[in-house]
Amino acid sequence: MNTMPLARAFTLIWRFALRDLRGGIRGFGIFIACIAIGVAAITAVAVVSRGLTDSLAREGRVILGADAAFVTLQREASDAERQWLDRQGHVTPVAYLRAMVRAEDGNSVLVEGKSVDASWPMHGKAVLSPDQPVAGLLAERDGVFGAAADPLLFARLNLKIGDIVTVGGRRFALRAELLSEPDKLAGGVGFGPRLLILEEGLRASGLLQPGSLVRWSYRITLPGTPEERAVEAVIADSKQRFPEAGWEVRSRMNASPQFSRQIDRFTQFLTLIGLTALMVGGVGVANATQGFVDRKRPDLATLKSLGATGGFVFALTLTEVLVLALAGSLIGLLIGSVIPPFLLTLFGHLLPLPLSMAIYPSELARGVAYGLLTTLAFSVWPLGRAHDVPVSGLFRDAIDQDGRLPRWRYIILTLLAVTALVALAVAFAWDRRIAMIYVASAAAAFAALRFVGLAVMDIARRLPRPKQAEARLALANIHRPGALTPSVTLSLGLGLTLLVALGLIDTNLRKALTATLPEKAPSFFFIDIPNVETGRFDAFLRTAAKDSTIDRVPMMRGRIVAIKGTPAEAYRANENAAWVLEGDRGITYSDSVPLNSRIITGEWWTDGYRGRPLVSMTRDIADGLALKVGDEITVNVLGRNITAQLASVRQVEWRTVGINFVMVFSPNTFAGAPHTHLATLSFAQAPDGAQEAKLARDVALAFPAVSSVRVRDVLQAASDLVGQITLAMRGASVVALVSSILVLAGALASGRAARIKDAVVMKTLGATRRQLFLAYLMEYGILGLITAAFGLAAGIAAAYGIITNVMRLPFAMDWTVAATSITIALLVTVILGLIGTWRILGQKPAPYLREL
Amino acid sequence: MLDRTSPPAIVLDNVHLSLGHGPSRVHILKGIDLAINKGEAVGLVGPSGSGKSTLLMTLAGLERADQGKVIIDGQDLGVLNEDGLARFRGRRIGIVFQSFHLIPTMTALENVAVPLELGGMDSAFDRARQELNSVGLGDRLSHYPGQLSGGEQQRVALARALAPDPAILIADEPTGNLDETTGGQIVDLLFKLKNERGATLVLVTHDLSLARKCDRMVRIRSGLIEADGVAA
Repeated sequence: MNTMPLARAFTLIWRFALRDLRGGIRGFGIFIACIAIGVAAITAVAVVSRGLTDSLAREGRVILGADAAFVTLQREASDAERQWLDRQGHVTPVAYLRAMVRAEDGNSVLVEGKSVDASWPMHGKAVLSPDQPVAGLLAERDGVFGAAADPLLFARLNLKIGDIVTVGGRRFALRAELLSEPDKLAGGVGFGPRLLILEEGLRASGLLQPGSLVRWSYRITLPGTPEERAVEAVIADSKQRFPEAGWEVRSRMNASPQFSRQIDRFTQFLTLIGLTALMVGGVGVANATQGFVDRKRPDLATLKSLGATGGFVFALTLTEVLVLALAGSLIGLLIGSVIPPFLLTLFGHLLPLPLSMAIYPSELARGVAYGLLTTLAFSVWPLGRAHDVPVSGLFRDAIDQDGRLPRWRYIILTLLAVTALVALAVAFAWDRRIAMIYVASAAAAFAALRFVGLAVMDIARRLPRPKQAEARLALANIHRPGALTPSVTLSLGLGLTLLVALGLIDTNLRKALTATLPEKAPSFFFIDIPNVETGRFDAFLRTAAKDSTIDRVPMMRGRIVAIKGTPAEAYRANENAAWVLEGDRGITYSDSVPLNSRIITGEWWTDGYRGRPLVSMTRDIADGLALKVGDEITVNVLGRNITAQLASVRQVEWRTVGINFVMVFSPNTFAGAPHTHLATLSFAQAPDGAQEAKLARDVALAFPAVSSVRVRDVLQAASDLVGQITLAMRGASVVALVSSILVLAGALASGRAARIKDAVVMKTLGATRRQLFLAYLMEYGILGLITAAFGLAAGIAAAYGIITNVMRLPFAMDWTVAATSITIALLVTVILGLIGTWRILGQKPAPYLREL
Repeated sequence: MLDRTSPPAIVLDNVHLSLGHGPSRVHILKGIDLAINKGEAVGLVGPSGSGKSTLLMTLAGLERADQGKVIIDGQDLGVLNEDGLARFRGRRIGIVFQSFHLIPTMTALENVAVPLELGGMDSAFDRARQELNSVGLGDRLSHYPGQLSGGEQQRVALARALAPDPAILIADEPTGNLDETTGGQIVDLLFKLKNERGATLVLVTHDLSLARKCDRMVRIRSGLIEADGVAA
């Protein structure tokens, strides 16, 4: 027998599929909705992410405030450097530092100070209220420099425009509110509100002491509209001319790497949640496909009787399902593309950069790929059964349902589709390890819930028959063929697992930040304590804060420039340690092993050690950078490259917030170098807000150059940030829950005909509507409870694993989350179930009996 | 027309067939020997459960004999794999079912064209149109099965079975779902078309008057041929 040429077979399959689809898509509503919702979620996340990344690239010059920026730490550019910078183009020097702003009434607030010159901002526009030119606003008038500040500062110190504040040793007039700065992203995120002053003002304040924690950013705007190559050439020249400068160089093409990374990370988590929604929806896809195959069995058998092969029948049904999946994916794309602009109009003002969106073909294509692969993963198995639809059934007018496994080729095809789906998810993930852990956990949850569904049915089957008729019916409905049990446990269970896990992670994280940590954490950090004033500062604190513990260490900022002789930017670090190589880090020196640390390998240097510079590193970073005792690391501190040998690796108990540094050097390394100190102040019993405020005020008055950071404020800010992030994630997880509900509704709808038949027969045999109602109520109630229990268990397990193993925090159960999820599961199952069966209760038997 | 000079169109040699698994396995065909000549019309009769439908399915290659040989139109069905059987069936065997089994989402024309399209015929729709004309449904080409009466549906099924010009025509209670008058019309049409094309017809029926229209009547009982003779 000749087989048909492939191209001809495809044409024929396509023609047959279209013919069949012409008859309508009954039973596929839920299928399409499940795919559409998942694809919409993933697409919306991808479009927003791409929009942000593109805006970041497009607005790079505005965000950076230049074509290239050269950032030095704790030092200004040398004369040679400055001359070279001036030769390249227009230079705008901007200095960042933390400082205390003191109001006339003595109250003070930590601010993120920023000094600029008259040409700032070179790109974009600073929004001031009242609107006025920046240079004029900040200039000195009658011996007083001007300043603009974040409205938050006005609120915190109860100030108004025109009021005078003191910064360091100089008075400034607050002449405007600073509503936005174009280069805010490039400056990074700070603890306090922004205070904008002129460079001359900063110099006059006396805060620029040797070793002060000041970050100078020299921004070059090249003449005209330079191409990227020109910018790269300048950067390359800088590296060649000043190999020892140790400055951090950024170009407009890479204006805010931290923000880019945050976008990537957030995108990944939201995408994984979207994928969970697709996976939950996959159950709906599988149910709808099984229903489709069951409905089509006579037609498929007829086709086979007319000469169609099993493979042809499979290909035909698969084509139909894929056409519908494509339709679902396209609807998803449409929704996913409409949501971001809508969100932008609502929340666009919260974004730190102007966001514009376009059509992104690759993101949209990826959305479709996810939709189609999910469909394949969940439909090939049930469709594989179409291959073996027996034609002989046509002679008996009864086509039996088939519970056998599909042929091997379809099982393999299913596995291939699942693998492709996982590969796609992992390939586009920012952190592949996390993506793989997530996929593995999701697969485990899927398998566990599938097992639970089967186990529940098995147990229900084996239980002794209850005497009460309603309970008997409910029990029978739980285990009979075509029961709702597997769909409910699997899809709703998965949705709940996600909801519970995210809920618990959220509450645990926030609790750690607002309740657990503050108990262990010091109340204050003091930074920029001048070296010469340490004795006076300690004495002051001992008097001002009795019963307190003061911990003070020298502090500098340094940047790792080379590891084992390889430049830091070329060094391949583990993802967990890569952050250490980006930007500057706090470093210190010490004669003894810091508190909360213990040596794992190597040895601490002896007292009064005078040999070559040595350094001790924390274990996670040393491991992440693949460093062993004896390896060399070069750090640029105060414009000098210092190469030190790794002498020891320490294990640090980071959970106790206190002073600890990734890198601790031997004291001789920095002998004579100007630097300041960092101190923490801890109380046996935490003081109240008023006491803390008074202490901050007293310190500000006595030591104008010292900045006080209230840990309580920092943790609250962090907690708020976590709250916002987890809110977005929980919002996304609702999508998964909606998919669960859809799947459940679909499963109920597909079983409706069988239920009507049952109800009619039961009524004919004397069952009252009340009895039927009770039976359904029991069935849905039991299913809801079981699903809630297992969804809760899986969610708690997932959250426990993440909190204790990944975040290394203590886990505490939040029963509100548990109660909410149980309630949701019960309500969803019972309400949806009863909506579906309400009409059944009202059916008159006669019309159905005539058709039975 | 009956052709006794050529080799038989259908040969069954000691065919045994059991269905089901384990304790529910039933031995249905218990050694059937049957030869049907080209162009012959054979009526299979017998009580319910005697094995006549199973025999029909074995002839169509829908059930595989456990033992014995089934040779249809010169082809030993035992050597064909499942796909080979499907293609052979599509070209050489036409089947008419009691419940018509038209595909509800296809028009009459498309239903008839299906086996031709599956067989790779370029002019499938022209041929299907001719077939529908020959069963008197030239004006119902674009009707869906749901828009046709039972008799019309069976005529479409007949046109579909005959469209690939099969050597063997198998009919399972073709009038079982029709009223007497319509059933009579279908039977007349079935025999007329069979004779025009020289096809071999094997027909299962409970209706003895229908069986008598055949050249030969084979009575099956308990999986064995009880009687085989000229229908009278």
